[in-house]
This record gives sequence, structure tokens and C-alpha cells, in this order.
Amino acid sequence: MQLRYVFSELGQGLRRNLSMHLAVVLTLFVSLTLVGLGVLFNQQATKAAEHWGSQLQITVFLCRADDSNPACAGEVTDAQRTEIETVVQDNPEVADYHFESKEEAFEKVKELLGPERFEGPNPAATAEDLSESLWIELKDPEEYQGITSAVEGLDGVSQVRDMRQVIAPIIGSINMLQWVALGTAGFLVFAALLLVGNTIRLAAFARRKEIGIMRLVGASTLYIALPFLLEALVTAFIGVVLAAGALGAFMYFGIEQRGTDQLKFMPWIGMEEYVVALVAVGVLGPLLTVIPTLVLTRKYLKV
Amino acid sequence: MIRFDQVTKTYPGHPHAALDQVSVDVEKGEFVFLVGSSGSGKSTFLRLVLREYRPTSGRVYVAGKEINRLASWKVPRLRRDIGTVFQDFRLLGNKTVSENVAFALQVIGKSRSDIASLVPETLEMVGLDGKGDRMPDELSGGEQQRVAIARAFVNRPMILIADEPTGNLDPTTSVGIMKLLDRINRTGTTVVMATHDAGIVDQMRKRVIELEDGRVVRDQAQGVYGFQN
Repeated sequence: MQLRYVFSELGQGLRRNLSMHLAVVLTLFVSLTLVGLGVLFNQQATKAAEHWGSQLQITVFLCRADDSNPACAGEVTDAQRTEIETVVQDNPEVADYHFESKEEAFEKVKELLGPERFEGPNPAATAEDLSESLWIELKDPEEYQGITSAVEGLDGVSQVRDMRQVIAPIIGSINMLQWVALGTAGFLVFAALLLVGNTIRLAAFARRKEIGIMRLVGASTLYIALPFLLEALVTAFIGVVLAAGALGAFMYFGIEQRGTDQLKFMPWIGMEEYVVALVAVGVLGPLLTVIPTLVLTRKYLKV
Repeated sequence: MIRFDQVTKTYPGHPHAALDQVSVDVEKGEFVFLVGSSGSGKSTFLRLVLREYRPTSGRVYVAGKEINRLASWKVPRLRRDIGTVFQDFRLLGNKTVSENVAFALQVIGKSRSDIASLVPETLEMVGLDGKGDRMPDELSGGEQQRVAIARAFVNRPMILIADEPTGNLDPTTSVGIMKLLDRINRTGTTVVMATHDAGIVDQMRKRVIELEDGRVVRDQAQGVYGFQN
């Protein structure tokens, strides 16, 4: 097959319809970027949920001598501690648990904030300021209600903290960002489809004479449609490249430089997740232009 | 070469059949005039030959193929055996004469060397030797129609279909075009020409098929435009 004509048509077509092609490229760029962001947010939410889902779920803080909780009547007694441990041990939802003494808690705090603040004559806190605690791992992280209510009312329990109460809002906002991105992308994808359709209609109209002659002299349908398909692929390619760049910038400036620096306790998405988003965008982009092109060339270029 | 067997064509929304039980047989190498008033079914006849439509009933055979059964993807190959010329020339204004003729070969994938030999040869045959680099709008109407005929014939089709090819031309120029079509016919190409031009039909003394309201009312060897007893 002689493709000289196809390529000269491609160049001509792209130039002739430049403003329409630019509109398609820009819409594709923005919608693909949003789709990519949606994919990234989705992975971030999953990653965060998996990370915390596998960790100790519930921490039971026992009463201190001067506990701020009015339910505490002073330091937890040995009897109370044993009672609490028995309840935890006997609960069928508990997979494992361990006891953390004041000294262990103090070591943790020192490590987290730097030991120098806790040494010398005037330390920021001593082991006595901290609570004893039970760290409970659940069989099913979703089933935290039972153990929480079982332990909460016991004497000597100051506070039951579910890690998920801290994390849930974070995962919630990531999820919301994901849906905002995908929802907006949905509208833009629709706009992109309409624009691609209009572009093809204009191009088919501009070339109607050539197309008429090609049909008459027996050019194959593929040959007639090829310039349209190549145009679609070129615009998709540019849109995908721009979106990949924008997503890369988001990964670098948004995740690498800010997120991982300022919110160290979160597991952050990285290269692997970026590649997944790129694949999604790289597949979706050409589909968005090629499918309407195939459908409409069948309609407009019917033999 | 072209055979219509009890062919009826009805367009959706039109109660009258454009062609009504038409049976016609055109042999290889024949020259046939298709005459009749506007709306008599001439265009429908030609479009059925080109397989732009399928018949509503009956069978159409073109170049040995039954076009009712021809799959859509095989239609382009059928059309490579048919050259088509129109009243309004349908040349591409942004291409030179040579490029217009070459276009028909390029888009069916002919090699560069074939194009390089066939195009000048065909231009010479239609009497446009040396005008290959002109643009269509620099040519007279008759010359433009010669370009269109060159484009239709450059692939050496078995059938040439001409829909009112002299409709836009003055009588003297028309005679030149008819001579050219006759010459093409003598190479063995079957020519089917729809026309209103009585003078030409009378002069050529070829087979005449007359259509009226979608029916064949006359099929006469060496006929004339009107009835002659």
C-alpha cells in the first residue's frame, strides 16, 4: 500500500483543522490528567488503608495517678489491670495483644522527640507522666466495635483509642479527592468525545470531494479512514504526553517534596503507582479518540 | 458485463419504484446510451451498477459478480473495474491535471513506477499531452472533462460509466468528448452513458435503452434519441 498520500493528508488535515485539534488535545490533556490523578488518589487511599489495616488497631490506655479522665479513681490497680487483660484475652475478636509499661512508653516518646529534652534536672516529662497501655491486634480490622465497648466501661481504663479514628478522615479525604477528580474527568471525557466527533465531521466535510473520488475509484475503506485514524492517534499521543508530564509534576511537587516531607507517618505512593496511572492514561487517551473516529468514519465514509 | 434481472428499486418514503422490473443485458465491449427524462431512473440504474445501492428485488450482475451478495468490503475492488465520469467533472482544484489522474491510482495502491508510465500515456490518449502541469481551472470545460475521463480510464477499467458527460459542454466540444468515449469503447471497454443530448445519440447510432417511470420502454440496437419508425 502506498502511504505517501496518507501522510500528506495527515499533515494537511492537522494543519487545516488546527484549532479543532488544539481543542481536542487540550480537553484530552486535562481530562486524562484528572483520570490519572483519580487513579493516583485511589492507590494512595488503598495504600494507606492497607498500611494501617495491618497494624495494631486499638490501644487501651490505663488510668494514671492524676488522670484527666474523671472516671479514673487514681492509678490503675493490679486487680483492675488483671481484669482488663482477662477481658481482652477472652475476646474472640482479638488476634494478639501486648502490654506496654510506662518505661516502654517513655522510651518511645524519647525516641520520637529526641532524648535530650528528657534528660538533666528539668525534663519535659518522666515515665510517671505516661500511661500504661494495651496494644490490641484484631483478627478482622473492621470488627473493632465489640472489643471497644467491652473494654471501655471497665474500671481502670482511661481511654480506648482506635487508630482508625485518626486515619479514617485522611483516607476519607483522599477518597473524596479521587471521586472529584474522576467525576470532573467524566464530564471532560464526554466533552472530548464530542470534540473528536466534531473534528471528524469537519474533516470529512473538508475532504468530501477527495473522499467521493476515492470511493468511486475503489480505494479501500481503511485507506480512506487512515488519515482520520492517524490524526486521532496523533492528538491522543500529544494529550497523553502532556497528561504524563502534569502527573509527573504532581508526583514530584505534590508527593515527593511536600507529602513525604511533612506527613512522614503516611506511606506515600511512588514510581510504581505513577506507572499504573500512566498505563491507564496511555490506554484511555487513544481509545477516546480512536473509537469515535472508527464509529464516525463508518458513518461519514460509508461505501 | 452488466446484467439486470427483474430489478426493482424503491427508495424509502417514495411510493413509486425508481426502477420497476428492469431486465437489461449489456455485453462486453458494447456502447449503450441510457435515455429518458429526469426522474426516469437513469441515475438509479447507474448507481446500482456502482453498487452505491442494492436493488430492492431482482439481481444485478456487474463484471461477473452478483452485487446483491457482494460484501461491503469487496465493493472497492468492484469499483476498480468501473470508471466513472460526471457532468460536473469532479476534479480536485488544488491538484494539477497529472496529480488528479495520478490520485486515482495512488489511492488504490498502484506503484510509483506504474503511475509514472500510466498517467502521461493516458493524458496523451485523451488529447491533453503537455497539459499535465496545468491546474483544472486553467482549462476549458471540454479539457476538464477530458481530465475526468483520463482519471476514470487510467486504471483501464472494464466498464466506463458516464452520467451526462456532455451536459455542461457546447455541441462542438461534446463531439470531441464523444469521439474520445468511442475510442475508449474500441479498446474493449464497455461504455454506458446516460444522456439528454438527442443530437449525440442520433449521430452515434449505438444501442439505446430508454427508461420511463422506471421501466424500460425501448431497447434498440443502433437507435436514436426519440422514437423512429
